[in-house]
Amino acid sequence: MPREIKMPKLSDTMEEGTLNVWRKREGDRIERGEVLLEVETDKADMEYEAYVAGTLVKILAREGETVSVGTPIAVVRLDSDADAEVNALLEKLGGGAAAAPAAPAPQSPAPVADADESPAEPAAAPPVAAPPATPPPAAAPTPAPAALPPRESRLAFWMPDPDRVRATPRARAIAAERDVDLSEIAGSGPEGAVVVSDVEGYLQALEESREPLVSGDVPATPVALRIADEHGIDLSRVEGTGPGGRVSKRDLRAWLDREGGAPEAVALHGDEIKLSQKRKFLIRQMVESKQQTPHFYISMEVDAEPVDALRQRLKEEGSRVSWTHLIVKASAQALEAFPDVNATWRDGAILRYKPINIAVAVAVGDELVAPVVKGCEGRPLDSIAKATDALIERARDRKLAPEDYADGTFTISNLGMFGVDAFYAIITPPQATVLSVSRMREVPVVVDGEVRVGRRMTFGLAVDHRVLDGAKASQFLAELKARLESPDGLLEGDDGA
Amino acid sequence: MARSLAVEWLGRVSYAEALRRQAARLAEVRAGAAGDVLLLLEHPSVVTLGRGARPENLLESPEALRARGIDVHEVARGGDVTWHGPGQLVGYAIVDLDARGRRDVHRFLRDLEGGLVDALEKLGLAADVRPGMTGVFVAGSEPPRKIASIGVGVRGWVTWHGFALNVEPDLSDGFGAIVPCGLRGVEMTSLARELGTAAPVDLAERAREAVAEAFRRRFA
Repeated sequence: MPREIKMPKLSDTMEEGTLNVWRKREGDRIERGEVLLEVETDKADMEYEAYVAGTLVKILAREGETVSVGTPIAVVRLDSDADAEVNALLEKLGGGAAAAPAAPAPQSPAPVADADESPAEPAAAPPVAAPPATPPPAAAPTPAPAALPPRESRLAFWMPDPDRVRATPRARAIAAERDVDLSEIAGSGPEGAVVVSDVEGYLQALEESREPLVSGDVPATPVALRIADEHGIDLSRVEGTGPGGRVSKRDLRAWLDREGGAPEAVALHGDEIKLSQKRKFLIRQMVESKQQTPHFYISMEVDAEPVDALRQRLKEEGSRVSWTHLIVKASAQALEAFPDVNATWRDGAILRYKPINIAVAVAVGDELVAPVVKGCEGRPLDSIAKATDALIERARDRKLAPEDYADGTFTISNLGMFGVDAFYAIITPPQATVLSVSRMREVPVVVDGEVRVGRRMTFGLAVDHRVLDGAKASQFLAELKARLESPDGLLEGDDGA
Repeated sequence: MARSLAVEWLGRVSYAEALRRQAARLAEVRAGAAGDVLLLLEHPSVVTLGRGARPENLLESPEALRARGIDVHEVARGGDVTWHGPGQLVGYAIVDLDARGRRDVHRFLRDLEGGLVDALEKLGLAADVRPGMTGVFVAGSEPPRKIASIGVGVRGWVTWHGFALNVEPDLSDGFGAIVPCGLRGVEMTSLARELGTAAPVDLAERAREAVAEAFRRRFA
């Protein structure tokens, strides 16, 4: 399916944006991560990077034009797209279908246009291109087929094709002599042209940034390193012709052209999995937690027979009590006994939480959510059960409100239903602990000198070492174990459930 | 979100060199190899044109400017045309908005303004902001007297470029050649001019410290 590129939303308060610069022209090949265009809102200029590879077949909004957020501004054809699909989309957008067949065959790498190859003379050229003649009225709902005005000045820098780079003749000569790839240099001359001092500065920076190579490292310029990294290219397969034999951007391009234009990694990776905002937030939170919270881990084996027996009994009495309910209740009691565990690290101090709010991690489709059972201190089991079930149901229906996730002080993650024997979850900041519950398994146990079948569960606890040390954490886990192994106390305060 | 902002004073740096340093730092931040940073520095006399620059806001030809020792650059930042030079405190903020969980460039612009207003207050000057006119102005001034300009670029949700605070520049030298930020009817002013005789002798240094402190706090 061809993709519509839409005016991005760069801010909650952004309603429209101005198309500052097209960095690509109709017919240009686009790689993922390449800058397609620049958009301005207020006084911020945002580089818009392509999220798919393909061909830019149609530009729908001209430079200087201001359009509302979400308005289609271009069409990108993926390599797998058929002409008919592209034409249908262009028709729909009112861009005219004629453009589609004009797209170059996807396999051939974009030919290097030499029309721009006019090295600017530093003093002669005016620094700014005349702005696009007259922007079309912004109200036009379907922008006229706007051919990109011939690319004048204004663009040039950020990594154009190596052979298209603007440079003064002397800078070009020095670059050739020193094996410097001009496209790696941000020109400081007029129209972004690379001047001699830019080349010298670049060489010097390269020299200063030289890091000792570890075995297996391939010497490469910083730009080439970044591109290789972003595109998953194995640098050891690329021959370096840059300064000191480094792999440069030019080398990467040549290699890609030779290898049929598709880096190995592209074939290795299939479709990208779209991430929801929620999931991205969770990912960030987990990375941050794992990097910044000094986790340590303890685990204990719990004899699950007594609490399983209680669960069976309650079931027979008609109350729908689950493992989760019982573990939430037992955790609440253990936290009451060890208030230091119900705490957080903030700004160099340990703060105890007033309430006991227990988050219960639930997988809903591809998402992991952890709604919070609030006010568990002294709360009877049946009340905890009702609150927990209501939250889990809302989670499954994806109807959780922001306050349903908020203010957790302790988290329980249960993978028992997936047959997991033992694990440790990552702490959710700013909480200090997370309890990991695994499956109940049958194991041989020795009772009164005889071997018989017992039921055991492993409870893992990940702990923020700033808040708790091993001794306190172990006491807490032992308390929790005791509460589960003598579970009558879990019924405290229940109205005869 | 424990993401702090480091502040580095680079001294006087040419525009081209500063661009290179920014780009390098930005690449590091994007790669997750470095934290957010505010680069504080001063430029030799230079006129820069943002993406929104209109040629008519340049009152002299680039040749004439260069003859006076003022360089001219086009840059991928928002905003119109501005001047940088000695006596002006330039701040380039390389901040990963995504990592801070704030993918909102307007909010970032407001944070830059807020940081400058805080710093100016510390230095004894009441400043304010004007809706629709990004930048910082002398509080209540009419016609507006502008003391700091703002223009940022964003690449992969990491910001670069930033602000220029007029501490004690020769205002007629650079700003005389342009219509600052394309705002006709706005007068450019400086901290030294506004404070008058109340300005301490070590104003530049104090301004640097106040700005560093205000931004560290705001971006803590």
